[in-house]
Amino acid sequence: MRGGVLKLPEYTRDAPMRFDRPDPLARLLLRSPMGTLVRWVASARASVQRKLLAAFLLITLLFLAMGAFSVYTVRSMSRQSELLDKAHQRVEWAQQIHHSLAMQMHLTAMALLVREEAALGPILRENNRFSEALARLEQAVEAPERAVIQKIRSGQEEAMTTVADIANLVRDGKFDAARTLHSGREDPLYRSIDALAYELVERENARMVALRSSIQAANQRSLVVLGSFAAVSVMLALAGGFIISWALIIPVHRAHDFLSELASGRFGGGVTVENRDEFGELAAQLTATSKELARLDAVQRRAAHELGTLNLRLEQASQAKSEFLANMSHELRTPLNAILGFTEMLNDGLYGEMPQGFREPLGDIQTNGKHLLRLINDVLDLSKIEAGKMELAVEEYSASEVIHTVRSSLRPLAEEKGLDFRAIVDDSLPEVLYGDAKRITQCLLNLAGNALKFTKQGSVTIRAAREGDFIHYSVSDTGIGIPEDQLDAVFTEFKQVNSTITREFGGSGLGLSITKKFVEMHGGRIWVQSRLNEGSTFHFAIPLKREAVATA
Amino acid sequence: MSQKTILYVEDNEFNRKIVKQLLAQTKYRLREAADGETGLRMAQEQAPDLILMDVQLPKMSGLEATRRLRADPQTAAIPIVVITSYALSGDAEKAKAAGATTYLAKPYSPRDLLAKIREIVPEE
Repeated sequence: MRGGVLKLPEYTRDAPMRFDRPDPLARLLLRSPMGTLVRWVASARASVQRKLLAAFLLITLLFLAMGAFSVYTVRSMSRQSELLDKAHQRVEWAQQIHHSLAMQMHLTAMALLVREEAALGPILRENNRFSEALARLEQAVEAPERAVIQKIRSGQEEAMTTVADIANLVRDGKFDAARTLHSGREDPLYRSIDALAYELVERENARMVALRSSIQAANQRSLVVLGSFAAVSVMLALAGGFIISWALIIPVHRAHDFLSELASGRFGGGVTVENRDEFGELAAQLTATSKELARLDAVQRRAAHELGTLNLRLEQASQAKSEFLANMSHELRTPLNAILGFTEMLNDGLYGEMPQGFREPLGDIQTNGKHLLRLINDVLDLSKIEAGKMELAVEEYSASEVIHTVRSSLRPLAEEKGLDFRAIVDDSLPEVLYGDAKRITQCLLNLAGNALKFTKQGSVTIRAAREGDFIHYSVSDTGIGIPEDQLDAVFTEFKQVNSTITREFGGSGLGLSITKKFVEMHGGRIWVQSRLNEGSTFHFAIPLKREAVATA
Repeated sequence: MSQKTILYVEDNEFNRKIVKQLLAQTKYRLREAADGETGLRMAQEQAPDLILMDVQLPKMSGLEATRRLRADPQTAAIPIVVITSYALSGDAEKAKAAGATTYLAKPYSPRDLLAKIREIVPEE
């Protein structure tokens, strides 16, 4: 990563739950005085529980009041209906009086007709019934009617006296006198009483009609009042519900919006609500959380920035190291070039005839100079691989050519040691392979060079064959072999089986390690089979497909 | 028949001595420069038949000098052998990109160098 700030992980979020935002009506209401009430309830210094309790109590009280009013209305209506019943009763009594009077007149007329005193008896009975009804009515009526009743009673008493007179006249057989009394006195009396009774009936009737219409009006009124009361109660309950719910919903919405903001990584903001209840505390805590998150975020960013800077510095240091190595390499190579160059020219006789006995030390100088060069190359390669600076130049190449190069480079050494040095390229190999030919050559040179080095007699064989999706290279020898317990360690830097071997056979101990790294950079693998004193076979396999090599 | 001139640009005197000794046995005429700027100037003035150019040089790098020689119509056709340092990654590519005819990795064998010179510019 070059000099950048560490990128913070993106928050992956599911689509947030959609809250019901205030619909147009609610928005309108919130802007009306109702909105002021909502804010007032929100800012009231009381717990949510108390606010809810108050709201429910308000609604409950409204319904209780409505219930009480209903009960009152029903009772008042039943009282009115009782009054009506009584009025009805009075009308009935008045009618009874009227009827009884008619009966008395009728019975008197009958007695005169049959001329018997006994026939007057029923009049007395009828009179008793009349008096009872009159007494009951008198109890129930108002003052004006009572006055009429007094008149009826005094008229009736007079009538009864007249009836007694008529009865006496009938008993004495003075029928004419009785008839005269009847038509001249009793009859007009009854008629006047009858008129009074009729008046009574009419009055009570009128009273009843008036009462009925007043009851109807009262009932109508009660219904209207009750209806209005119910409507107002419902409206108040709805308004109460609206106010309490929005006083609680608004802070929830604000908190939700605020949390969405936090979730999208915008820290440091605050949420303000008017509530001075649990929601108010919640908002304060959310704000505090946001501030804390902003602080942590800043710390994190600073740390990431510092890490980035550090990374950049490390990268620069690594760059400096690579440059140092490159320069060192040049500096080391330049004198080495002179040493090897002068040696070669001495050998080639460019400075004249070589004195006897100079040839061997000159050869030793050359061998050691080349060894030093190989060491320098190995150390540089390894440094570059470890610094991640080694890049493969993956191109088309031919295995036959690579093996030919290796064989011709090492043939002089093999001939010198009298070893059979063979190369077998299988026909199954594709013509075109992909890889960094220079590095693959280097790998095979390392392996075959080692094989020749560690083999005193017998043969060294390089093989290349196709094996599935891989090209399989192997180098076998009939050399000293590797002890089984050391097999795993051979690819580690600076590991040779023991120090005696290093002294006897030379080598930097880096060749196998570098070979392993090149093979792995090609997306391949390397392994070894060996038997002590019988020989070793080193294998490596590299993918045939370009993609598999290139992405390794 | 004219004598072929070779310009060797190299700051290390021992390497220059090697090439001097190597070419002393031949019919080539050697010119030497110890830094990039001098090398460039001598190449422009003397129009040698071949230039051997080391990469790491004082004052001006061998690659830069090569680029300039290629940019100059008078020297653009002169074959240049760039002598690279094996360890520098992509040295060969850089040499090619700068316009080198070919390159030789250090340390080189004097025998190989002479063979390469003869291949590009025959002695006679």
